[in-house]
Amino acid sequence: MPTLIELHEGIAKTVPDAFTHVADDEDMATGDVILSLARFQSDGDRLLSEGRRIGVRLKSDEEVEALAYDLPRLTLVALEFPKHLDGRSYTNARLLRERFKFAGQIRAVGDVLREQAPWMVRVGFDAYEPADDASANEWQAALNRYRHVYQRAADGRVPAFAEREG
Amino acid sequence: MYQYDTIDKEMLADRSAEFRGQVARRLSGELTEDQFKRLRLMNGLYLQLHAYMLRVAIPYGSLNPTQLRKLAWIGRTYDKGYGHFTTRTNLQFHWIKLKDAPDILDHLASVDMHAIQTSGNCIRNTTTDPYAGATAEEVDDPRVWAEAIRQWSTFHPEFSFLPRKFKIAITAAPKDRTAARVHDIGLVLKRARDGALGFEVIVGGGMGRTPHIGPTIREFLPVNRLLSYLEAILRVYNRHGRRDNIYKARIKILVAALGKEEFAKQVEAEWAKIGDSVDLPDTELARIRGAFAPLGFETLPDRSEAFETAKASNPAFARFVRNNVKPHKKSGYGIVEISLKAIGETPGDATSDQMDVVADLAERYGQNDIRVTHEQNLVLPHVKLDDLPEVWAGLAAAGLATPNINLVSDIIACPGLDYCALANARAIPIAQHIAEKFRDQDRAEQVGELKIKISGCINACGHHHVGHIGILGVDKKGEEFYQLTLGGSGAEDAAVGSMLGPALPYDKVADAVDTLVDVYLRERQDGERFPDTFRRTGVAPFKEAVYADAH
Amino acid sequence: MKALTANRLTDGEVVFWKDGRWVERFADAQLWAVDDPAAVEAEALGKGQGTTVVDVYLIDLVESEGLWAPLSYRERIRALGPTNHPHHGKQAEGGAVVEALQHASGAARSTGRVNLIKRK
Repeated sequence: MPTLIELHEGIAKTVPDAFTHVADDEDMATGDVILSLARFQSDGDRLLSEGRRIGVRLKSDEEVEALAYDLPRLTLVALEFPKHLDGRSYTNARLLRERFKFAGQIRAVGDVLREQAPWMVRVGFDAYEPADDASANEWQAALNRYRHVYQRAADGRVPAFAEREG
Repeated sequence: MYQYDTIDKEMLADRSAEFRGQVARRLSGELTEDQFKRLRLMNGLYLQLHAYMLRVAIPYGSLNPTQLRKLAWIGRTYDKGYGHFTTRTNLQFHWIKLKDAPDILDHLASVDMHAIQTSGNCIRNTTTDPYAGATAEEVDDPRVWAEAIRQWSTFHPEFSFLPRKFKIAITAAPKDRTAARVHDIGLVLKRARDGALGFEVIVGGGMGRTPHIGPTIREFLPVNRLLSYLEAILRVYNRHGRRDNIYKARIKILVAALGKEEFAKQVEAEWAKIGDSVDLPDTELARIRGAFAPLGFETLPDRSEAFETAKASNPAFARFVRNNVKPHKKSGYGIVEISLKAIGETPGDATSDQMDVVADLAERYGQNDIRVTHEQNLVLPHVKLDDLPEVWAGLAAAGLATPNINLVSDIIACPGLDYCALANARAIPIAQHIAEKFRDQDRAEQVGELKIKISGCINACGHHHVGHIGILGVDKKGEEFYQLTLGGSGAEDAAVGSMLGPALPYDKVADAVDTLVDVYLRERQDGERFPDTFRRTGVAPFKEAVYADAH
Repeated sequence: MKALTANRLTDGEVVFWKDGRWVERFADAQLWAVDDPAAVEAEALGKGQGTTVVDVYLIDLVESEGLWAPLSYRERIRALGPTNHPHHGKQAEGGAVVEALQHASGAARSTGRVNLIKRK
């Protein structure tokens, strides 16, 4: 099982994962599950009615708009990085936070490397399944790498131009 | 010029520290080459044929003397005493050791320089008019907007892993010295009748394997909405640009596939949703604008006696003025172009000693301002005509007074197979052979403006598609061959060149160019430039002459 | 004949395999007959040295002036240095092997390099 690192109040911690990833060709697990978009669309209503918490895992070529009406029912959205160079999930994360005001967990899954931490945290990811065995401490160091940012994004950090106004 | 404040400086320090850690992890074996490669490539560090190459960013081609001296010092200390200026107005060192790279980044940071986003699939260095702030042609100073884009694009949280690299150019003058129409985004600053400033937004130009002249998707974008509009373009591209094929991943392919109307529609729809939260507040724009406020220009007469006397008495100086000095917006001043295309030398290379000379001249005579052009030359944008004879003498003593700006020997060439791991053929010696053919400066001036651009592979770093004469190196069964194209232009009359005919072997290229020039001189009508003649006559007379010779 | 080449990790220097270590001069490189299995074995060993070298591959050689030179233009430039600066790179020290490389002519890419490109 991959390590799960969660970010709370700016602190990265390794935590036990309450959720089980269930692939489309696997039998349904018990408890809280993370499903593909297709499987959520077919089984989601039933699983939610059982009182389970549900997460949806979007591939990088699936757009968050597909989830717009379901977001209030979801505990988390997992966004895939099939390769770390595939940057589409950054847009999905940012839209989830900024446009759809999603307040649940946004989890980075797939080719997730600590070098991506400074970007991931800025677009709204608050949970990570690192593919490089990085520890929570190493993620914390990567998250704290930059003292300043130049842009407004989903993390609410004060951009340089606003810092300058004091 | 823009001065880095504490925030800007701390960004560079943090980046430098991060890279030092990454290099240490690689050298210790904690990172494999595959893992490290993508990290070093995010910092402009490539492994080329003979050594590592470090590409240093020169944001919008603007340098002060302290920075140029530092580059000279790095060249002397860590390289072989020179550097290579690129078509992205950056500077490359070709003989760098990995173990030295962290120290070099620290030295760069000490003068507010870095290698951030000089490679990788991110927003690269924004280029602008090297005459910005000096030419009367411009409607506004484009550096204000280039600096705004520099900050916005640096470590952009959403757009640092795009389908492919992304290049933006800004010009504020009708005469385009930035090749705006062959960029991923070209921005042309314009003033409306009511005085308001806005950008014409051109998206989806590019070179490489499939050259495109970019279409205009918006005629007039209010300037203060620039960043939100760029964000909308980049978001549409990040989501929908192709990621399955590296050669189809640039935004030009997306724009061409959707059609410019549909692409523009998607951008406008996204822009409407984004709103103005990412646009810079007026206070920040005013702060940046203040940094580019005109320096202390003196009130001078149009005519400088010292200048006129030197011109009349010294033909070499007069020739330099004719070709390398351009009109300045202030009377009594000139814009001085410094050619890095001395006959027989490597296009774009400057030795450390030459960099020091240019830094000294900029300090003494040029308001501490140095620019890099995308045609691989340098510019002193503000020189008093009274001082021009001294500036020329200083340049001449350093081998920097070649009077060939825009002439046939002012050739763009990428490093090619002499250095580059991607190249198929050499570019530098081809440029050298052609320049030798036009060593006679009277003949070169008689030919007039003629832009030759040479790339050693299809990636087109040497902009061959938009050369009046373009030369592309190809590999035919392991041997160097060269494909010639004619009639391209990267300027306001942007066009992609047309193929002349079958590729020529290495030792036939310079002769073929000589022949092309002869045909042009024979065919040209009053005042026509090479591309004008070509567009009128078509390829036939050129083709006939070159391939008749080749047989 | 074949030789094994790479770039050294710490400084990017072009290096060649010789009896289990890496040398800087092509003149010192170990050469193998085209079908000598030892070449492939050396390549495998070299590829295992990820903290010493990167981009390890075999190059094809051709006879030139009674000596051996890399078959492809690219490999000759790697073994010599850039043609625009004759005093930069390995060519600066001169000698018979350098001259043989400078006079070698044309021909195809190295198959080892092609494989490397395909692998990426």
